[in-house]
Amino acid sequence: MKKISLALVLLSGLVLPATASDLEIALQLPKISEGQYHRPYVAVWVEDSSEKSVRLIEIWREKPDWIKDLRRFWRKTGRADQPLVDARTGATKGPGQYRLRWDGKDDQGVAVPNGEYQLVIEAAREHGGRQLVKQKFNWDGSAVALSVVAGNEIGQVQLSRKAP
Amino acid sequence: MKTVRLLTLTSLFAASTALAHTMNVLPSHYVQSKTGGFVTVDLFASNMTFQADKGVGVDGFKVVLPDGSIAKPTAAVQGKRKSIADVELTVAGTYRLEMGGQPRYFTSYKVGGEQKRLMGDKQKAAKELPKDATDVVTTQGRNRALAFVTVNGPTDTVLKTTGQGLEFSFDRHPADIVAGEAVTATLTLNGKPVEGVKADLSFDGELYRNDPARQHLVTDKAGQFSFTPANAGRYLLEASAEAPLKSDKADKMREGFTLSFEAALP
Repeated sequence: MKKISLALVLLSGLVLPATASDLEIALQLPKISEGQYHRPYVAVWVEDSSEKSVRLIEIWREKPDWIKDLRRFWRKTGRADQPLVDARTGATKGPGQYRLRWDGKDDQGVAVPNGEYQLVIEAAREHGGRQLVKQKFNWDGSAVALSVVAGNEIGQVQLSRKAP
Repeated sequence: MKTVRLLTLTSLFAASTALAHTMNVLPSHYVQSKTGGFVTVDLFASNMTFQADKGVGVDGFKVVLPDGSIAKPTAAVQGKRKSIADVELTVAGTYRLEMGGQPRYFTSYKVGGEQKRLMGDKQKAAKELPKDATDVVTTQGRNRALAFVTVNGPTDTVLKTTGQGLEFSFDRHPADIVAGEAVTATLTLNGKPVEGVKADLSFDGELYRNDPARQHLVTDKAGQFSFTPANAGRYLLEASAEAPLKSDKADKMREGFTLSFEAALP
């Protein structure tokens, strides 16, 4: 099992080569043993200083019926741009550690100007809870090392960027 | 002095009985993320916010589709405590759910100092009023209960004002009302911003708390007031206004609306 996951990490590393200037996002989905467990719907995106969504990184979901329960995601991004949602959709995921990255570009593929941004992660679970995590960071070429404490639906989140 | 006061109370009561209950249009969902689904809408009169007291006739309920055309619910039934209607959401956009809106006329008058009222406009009153009736005033009353449901991206067609009666517009789309964020409403009467209109903002669950915690709002010179929903949940905005009317049917108009909406989680 360990070998397989290692292979997957290597494979994804090949597909998406990390560059020194990417924002690395480590996201944990906690193991939840209480009640019925359904994998959460999760959206990860970047907002600018006016809280406008500039880049949808990923959304993990199944049926369209329940995307609206990612309230903020749906309002800020989802409802307005179905092709974008489809393009960034992945299957829902169970408890574990996940790595994502942001290359500093907006949804149109254009590099965003320097400034303050926030990473937003929203998770909602059928028969379960909902959680929203917002973490501000400066996108100005400097290093980033931030950590968000674990909550009920979203475990520890770490943001890191190496200075070039 | 005591007699006068008593009279005033009686006349106030007579005038307000027609509006004693608040009409509600309360959809099961305000936001949907796919087309082809349904919302089930509760239609009822209430005293406490969203506590259904009496089902209302379903004939006065209509659905305004995102393109502005009018549809009927796919099914509707009147219950004792509330009525329900199923509304199919075949296309994306914002729908307006609306009940009422038909003008009703009533004429108030006095006979020997006693306040009386008959249902009917000026023409009907002219035929039916007693010879010795004084203080005759005919009112055109119109009440609408509203809610907006949005499927996928919000649209504005069903939000447009018509310049008729008491209407409102917000500085944001109803689907964009979020807990902790201020909303500014502009109230217009026959298309013009109107000062001094009183409105009440209440929220779900009045039965389960001592203090109803209603906000009493009044429009300013620009016809505006602002409010900030403190928490996510379902809210009700009620407003009414009176104005003189030049018509062969009534001397004044009384216009009211109620709007149910949700403040979303931030």
